[in-house]
Amino acid sequence: MKIISTRNLKKYFPIRSGVFLQISGWVRALENVNMEITQGETIGVVGESGCGKSTLGRTIVKIYEPTAGSITYRDPSGASHDLSKGIDRRVEPIFRKDVQMIFQNPFDSLDPRMTIRDTIREPLQTHRLLAGKKAMDERVAELLMKVGLYPEYAQRYPHEFSGGQRQRIAIARSISVNPRLLICDEPTSALDVSVQSQIINLLKDIQRDTNMSLIFISHNLDVVHHMSDRIMVMYLGNVVESAPATELFDNPAHPYTQALMSAVPSWNPKDRKLGQVKLEGEPPSPINPPSGCPFHPRCPHRLALCSKAKPEAVEVSDGHFSACHLHSV
Amino acid sequence: MTGAVERERILTVRNLKTYFRTPEGVVRAVDDVSFHLDRGEVLALVGESGCGKSVTAHSILGLVKAPPAKVDGEIVFGDRNLVGLPEKEYRHIRGKQISMIFQEPMSAFDPLYTVGRQLMEVAKAHMPWGDGEAKERIIDTLKSIHIPEPDKRYDEYPHEMSGGMLQRIMIAMALITSPDIIIADEPTTALDVTIQAQVLNLMQDLQSQYRGSIIFITHDLGTVAEIADRVHVMYAGKIVEKAPVAELFASPIHPYTSGLLTSRVRREYKGQDLPYIEGYVPRAYEFPEGCRFHPRCPKAVAKCSEVQPPEFEPAPGHTVACWLLEEGDDR
Repeated sequence: MKIISTRNLKKYFPIRSGVFLQISGWVRALENVNMEITQGETIGVVGESGCGKSTLGRTIVKIYEPTAGSITYRDPSGASHDLSKGIDRRVEPIFRKDVQMIFQNPFDSLDPRMTIRDTIREPLQTHRLLAGKKAMDERVAELLMKVGLYPEYAQRYPHEFSGGQRQRIAIARSISVNPRLLICDEPTSALDVSVQSQIINLLKDIQRDTNMSLIFISHNLDVVHHMSDRIMVMYLGNVVESAPATELFDNPAHPYTQALMSAVPSWNPKDRKLGQVKLEGEPPSPINPPSGCPFHPRCPHRLALCSKAKPEAVEVSDGHFSACHLHSV
Repeated sequence: MTGAVERERILTVRNLKTYFRTPEGVVRAVDDVSFHLDRGEVLALVGESGCGKSVTAHSILGLVKAPPAKVDGEIVFGDRNLVGLPEKEYRHIRGKQISMIFQEPMSAFDPLYTVGRQLMEVAKAHMPWGDGEAKERIIDTLKSIHIPEPDKRYDEYPHEMSGGMLQRIMIAMALITSPDIIIADEPTTALDVTIQAQVLNLMQDLQSQYRGSIIFITHDLGTVAEIADRVHVMYAGKIVEKAPVAELFASPIHPYTSGLLTSRVRREYKGQDLPYIEGYVPRAYEFPEGCRFHPRCPKAVAKCSEVQPPEFEPAPGHTVACWLLEEGDDR
C-alpha cells in the first residue's frame, strides 16, 4: 500500500534583496520529482550537497511547502489526501503521527534542557497515545531498550551521551508513536565509522519488526545501497536516475551516477583508482542552473543536444529509469 | 620506496604527551605517542573523533596553549626540539617550514578579505619578497595546482567560491613557502566525493613534485588507502598500530584496526547485519585503565584491563600495541 506519492514536485526558494526585500531570483532546489513509497519499503536518495535531497525529505514531511506539484498521502484507513495545498485540520494529527523524521546531527536535534524521558515522552503526550505517568514511563523504558540503551538513562540529559547514543535516542523518540514512514536525513554522517554500522543495523531491525517504510537520504553510496530497495540519484534538484538498489550498482546508466561511483575510494592501496576519475569541475549553482540537462557542463559524454533540451526519464530496463539523451540516440 | 636509498628523517616525535585540565578531570588527549616522518612520504594518522589525531597535529605546530595545557616529550624538527620553543621562534617555523590545511575551508578563511590578500599575508610574513614578486609567486602557485583564472580568483572573496575551490586555495596557501611538512587535518571531509577525488589527486601530484612530506589526518580509511605511504592508527590518545599502507589493509593485527576495516559498509553485506565494533569511543576524561580499547575488544584477556600494552614489532616497520602479540603469540 502506497503511503506517499509525489507528482512533479517542485520547491523553489526565493532570493530577496534590496530595501523592500523584493524577490530577485529563485533557488531551484527541487525540479519535477516523482516518487512513491509503499509500506515496508526503503527508498534511498543519494547525491552531493546542494542536490536537493534534504529539501525533498523536508518537503515531504511538510517542513517546506511545495512550490508546485502534488503530494498525496494515504492514511492508515486507506483514504487519500492531497497535501500540496496545506493539510486539512482533521488529517494533520494523523499525518504528523504517521510520518516521522530523524536528522543528521544528534547534537542539535535533541533539546539540551530536556531529560531523555521528557524528550521521548513528548510525542506520546502530543498525540495522547497513552494516559497516566506509569504507562508512559513504561513505554519510554521499552523504547530505550529497543534502541539498545538502558532504561535508567531516562533521567539523564543529552550532553551525557555520545553521538551514537544520541542518535539512538532520536530514533527512540521518532518510533515512539509507531509511524509508518520514517524519513532519515543523513542519520549516520555525523557518527564515527565504528558506530555507523550499529545505527544502520538498528534501523534495519526496527524496520523488520514494524514493517515501517524509510526514506533514507545520504551522500554515502555504500550506506544507501545497504539500506535501500530502490535508489534515486539526484543532481541539482533533478532525479537523474532511479532503479532497484542492486540494479543501480550493477548497471549504472546515467553518466553522473557512473562518475559518482568511480569517485568512491577503493579501500585498496594496491589498486588506487582516484587518479582515473574523469569528472571535472563542480556542481553549478541551483540559482542559475544550466540549460538542458543539468549535468551537461561536467558530462564526459555530452552531445550538442544536451545543452538545449532537458532529457526525460526513460526506462532502460525493468524498473530502471535514467534521464539522459544517450539512451535515445 | 627502495630500501637502498637512505631516507632523510625530517620529524621525530618521542613520547609526546598533551594533557588538558578540564572540570571533569585531566584529559590525556595525546598520551605517550612516538613516530617519525621521512622526507617525501605521506603519513596518515587515522582514528575516530577524540582519538587525539588533531591534538597531535596542533602540538607539532605549537598551537596548543601551554599552560593551561601541558605538552611533554620531544618533537624534533631538523636539529631543534619544538616542545617549549618560544612563540617568537615558532613563528618562523609555523606556516613556513611546517604548514597546515584545515578541514573547513569555509571557516578557515577570513570572510572580510579577498583570498589574494590572505595569501599575500602568508607570503609577506615568511618570504623576502616585494609586493610585485609575491603576487606573481602566488599566482604561479595557484596555476600550478590548476586553479582556473588565477588572476580573477586572487581578487575574490571566500564567499564567492565553492568549498572545493577554497580548499584548493588553502592548499596553495600551504605551498607558497615551500614547506618541509604539510599537515592536512581532514582536508576532504567537508567535500563531496567527486570533489574529494579531485583534491586527493591534486595532493598526490604535489607530493611527487615538491618532495615535501605530508601528515594526513583523517577518520576515513578509504582515503588513506588512496594516498598514504604509511599509516598510524590512533585510539583514545594512543597509537595502536603502525604499518605500511598495503600491509595495514592486507593484514591488520590490532583488533581495533581490524574492527575499523570490517566496519566498512561492503556491498556483499546487503541483506545482512553489518559487522561493527561493540560500544562507543570512551570520553577523553574517562579513558579506561590498561589497554584503552579493552572494553570494546572481542579478544581482550584479563591482562588487558590492567597493564597498558607496549609496542610489539611482528614485522619490520609494523608495530602493534596489543597484549595478544606477547611471547610470539601470533594468534
